Amino acid sequence: MTTPSERVAQLDLMARLKSAFTDLPDAPTPDLIDHERFTAYMKTPHDVGGEPDAPIKFENKQYEVWELQTYVLCEVLAWRGIWVSEERRRIQNVDIGRTNYLGLPYYGRWLLAAARVLVEKHHITVGELTERLAEVKGRYEGGLEGKPLDAKPKFEGDGLEVKRNHHHTHAVGKGDPQVFSGQAGQQKFQVGDTVLVRDLPALFYTRTQEFVRGATGEIATVAYESLVAEDEAWDRHDQKPEWFYIVRFNLSQLWHGYTGADSDTLQTEIPERWLEAVAQA
Amino acid sequence: MTDHDHDHDHDHDRTAAPMVDEITDFEVLEIAVRELCIEKGLFTVEDHRRFTEFAEGIGPTPAAHMVARAWLNPDYKQLALADGLAASREVGVDWLNPTGFGTPSDFTLLHVLEDTPTLHHVVVCTLCSCYPRPILGNSPEWYRTPNYRRRIVRWPRQVLAEFGLYLPGDVAIRVEDSNQKHRFMVMPVRPDGTEDWDEDQLAEIVTRDCLIGVALPKVSVTTNAITDTRPAIHPADH
Repeated sequence: MTTPSERVAQLDLMARLKSAFTDLPDAPTPDLIDHERFTAYMKTPHDVGGEPDAPIKFENKQYEVWELQTYVLCEVLAWRGIWVSEERRRIQNVDIGRTNYLGLPYYGRWLLAAARVLVEKHHITVGELTERLAEVKGRYEGGLEGKPLDAKPKFEGDGLEVKRNHHHTHAVGKGDPQVFSGQAGQQKFQVGDTVLVRDLPALFYTRTQEFVRGATGEIATVAYESLVAEDEAWDRHDQKPEWFYIVRFNLSQLWHGYTGADSDTLQTEIPERWLEAVAQA
Repeated sequence: MTDHDHDHDHDHDRTAAPMVDEITDFEVLEIAVRELCIEKGLFTVEDHRRFTEFAEGIGPTPAAHMVARAWLNPDYKQLALADGLAASREVGVDWLNPTGFGTPSDFTLLHVLEDTPTLHHVVVCTLCSCYPRPILGNSPEWYRTPNYRRRIVRWPRQVLAEFGLYLPGDVAIRVEDSNQKHRFMVMPVRPDGTEDWDEDQLAEIVTRDCLIGVALPKVSVTTNAITDTRPAIHPADH
């Protein structure tokens, strides 16, 4: 953005970017936000299951060079203990906000999460990132012209002072969730038990989908012990692991107006804290 | 009117500049972040190379062979259903690779979902795009769309029909929402007309889409249901 007319044009574009209730003003007064609207704004944007949408054309896509590189970047950062994958999911799927979540390409969000975690964890400063972005851009001034998309690090750091997580060494040879085996204590539910998914107010992060909260299902599998996603999303390895279960729901009971067969079901994995026993008739 | 035409021509002159193959914002960001990571010693060039090699080597072939072998060998089928990781090793996939604790985003727990003549499984991750990468490769673009993730859990029969899969009412659908650490793949029913086939022949018809559950294996069909592919601006070789 260099000219006054370009600045105005970009602001005009921004003004059309909406991820808000259009019947309310921006930054509404408290009396305009009831419980349902508050819940809607607080809903973690990755939790899209059951939202109505019209059919689209399903298609494959070729990988961009940067997309494959981004996938590798994020996994190598986890391999070397800079984050666990749930921190990545929290940053790129929830913290990023609804507008960017729905507006950006899939791997664009991965990439932004990698950049952000480096800043959040003090591995780089925003100033360093800004200068490097400008420098890389400068290398390709006037277009690619056959130049490869390649990183040119000035040197390789020894990494001796880098703060790394517990998980990347602790889980070696065991795997995940096997690294948490034997730490959750006695399981509360057995296969065949009827359970209710608690309707908890979920702020900031969860992987218990809104569409199963308050629903009754049956334990299909006692799955494994693990830290819950709410803790892993902030790398809280100091917390106690708990039991996870695969719970089966009947779709005709889950959805009002379900038009499929009465025997259609959905299964999903839920940690113990989200479940409560239901007395069977 | 003449004034308007004049303005239009002027505009046209300005936008008719030669096409420049500009670097994209994502490309700049990826290169900058990777360089800083290496300079800070967060990981090495060799780490990055090794994981790239791993990522370029994964695909759906081992999963197709697992299903084909299970169709032929009841003992192996029991193993696949009871211990997906042990069954994976027998088709050449060690889920602890390449880090010693697995790929960080896929975890190390595979659950094989057995279809029957009256039960059909289909897999989704409504929250992101959890997918059994080590044995199936990277997920297809459509699997990651909010559209598929929104609708398959509520209108599974309609969505499957969009893939060309029409299931009768006496076949129950079970949608598996892969939302935590388990990863899932579907073991479809072996189709009629394959009685004398060997493992390689059978594996040919167990496409990626069959392993997700949006298609059924069919004699003489070796391609996915979805074949249209959007081109990349700067495509990776892989």
